[in-house]
Amino acid sequence: MHIPDGFLSTPVWAALDALAAPAAAFAARRAQRGFDDSKAPLLGVMGAFVFAAQMINFPVGVGTSGHLVGGALLSVTLGPAAASVVMTAILVIQALLFQDGGVLALGANVLNMAVVGVLAGYLPYHLWGRGRTRRAAIFAGGALSVLASAVLALAELLLSGVRMPGSVLGISLGLFLISAMIEGAITIAVVTALENIQPGFVRQPAAGHSVLLSAVGITAVLLAAGGVVFASTAPDGIEHLAIQAGLSKPLSNYGGGAGVAGVGLVFLLLIVGGRVIRKRSA
Amino acid sequence: MRHTAVEDWSRGSSFLHQRAAGAKLLTIACLLVLLATAHRRIVVLSAALFLLLVWAIVAARLPLRGILSRAAVVLPFGGIFALISWLSGDNGRAVELILKSYLSALAVLVLMGTTTLPELVRTLELIKVPPFLLTVMQFLYRYLFVVLDEASHMRSAAASRGGMTFRAATGVLAVLFARSYSRAEGIHRAMMARGFDGRFRLLAARRFSAADAQFAAITILLLLLLRASAEVLH
Repeated sequence: MHIPDGFLSTPVWAALDALAAPAAAFAARRAQRGFDDSKAPLLGVMGAFVFAAQMINFPVGVGTSGHLVGGALLSVTLGPAAASVVMTAILVIQALLFQDGGVLALGANVLNMAVVGVLAGYLPYHLWGRGRTRRAAIFAGGALSVLASAVLALAELLLSGVRMPGSVLGISLGLFLISAMIEGAITIAVVTALENIQPGFVRQPAAGHSVLLSAVGITAVLLAAGGVVFASTAPDGIEHLAIQAGLSKPLSNYGGGAGVAGVGLVFLLLIVGGRVIRKRSA
Repeated sequence: MRHTAVEDWSRGSSFLHQRAAGAKLLTIACLLVLLATAHRRIVVLSAALFLLLVWAIVAARLPLRGILSRAAVVLPFGGIFALISWLSGDNGRAVELILKSYLSALAVLVLMGTTTLPELVRTLELIKVPPFLLTVMQFLYRYLFVVLDEASHMRSAAASRGGMTFRAATGVLAVLFARSYSRAEGIHRAMMARGFDGRFRLLAARRFSAADAQFAAITILLLLLLRASAEVLH
């Protein structure tokens, strides 16, 4: 899911770099707040933990194994801002020293995994993390964080004109769903084990949630899912619509629908996420 | 203590190693952008850039085969998409994907193979990357191999106790998390006791000298020339 250099078109990687820079700066300021001492050692070591954790294989069936990505786990234990900083640090180290993800594409990868992925991982927990829905919320967070990052990456690639015939798109989405389930399962399993070791590791979500926030969150997800499904089933329809709407260049196959899905998801997640973070600090 | 090969390579003493990190960062960034925005005569441009990078590797006395093969880690991902593009009839894109992703990775390796991480971080700080993020990165890198070793030991232990089941893997992660967390608290206390205030005080960055300016100017000019010829000779 780390996009290398050479895949994204210039408007896409440049715009995402421009978006990611202030987002990362915001997360860094946020993560530092309220402490006289530096949390940097903690976040650095937890980043090393996620690196190492990504290498542990979890067998999930006949010959398949998955691994933790970590955005949701970090957000539930360190808070979304700190989690975002840790994921950003990981992505930069991976790009520079392990050639995992491009340097110009860092903006895209940071937005996908360190911003949207972390927010999507935290949102269900923030909304439904108390009481009986707790376990389901944590599972949903893990699943959503992977799904959101993957769908966004796909949308960015499609918007950049990378070809993906329907069958490949279908397989990709299927794989994303499986990875999402695995992430959810691993996240809740590890959180449960952590609470047995030391309950203080996992923070309590803020009390009181609004129905509106829940509704917006669910809408964002449905919009994204709908956008992607629509795109994969009716590409010609979208192109036709786009040409009719006056766009001079016909959008590349599926680019339109997936693009809408991706943008819709980011937009809504950022809005909802912003409100969540402001609520937490109130 | 183990570290990546790139870290060993970055401690060389060639004239490239001695250039200021800012000059190298600028030229490599220039290369990446020129490559990313090119669409005409990609093969010729790529060949020229490849030769330039190979020259840099040799001049920096870095292991050529080692670097060329390390850059190849991007090929599986790129290869799949290139294949799909090829089969969809978009041959140009297929070629672009492979060439651009490989050369970009190679360029970053040349940068990191001639620049130590502390130097790079110092330069990133000068261009206003949030210092907090940079400090987190440095701690991450410093403890990466410590935690990786621990994870690897736990993996062997689990394997010798009846294989890595889902349950066993969960246990490994939870314990690794707890140990990392308490290790981090120990580090924090130790550093506070030594007067750490949240920022690493690095030795002064290498002053940007005339040689650095010349190097950057010549290289960027060359890159622009290569790119321009690719456009014009189309």
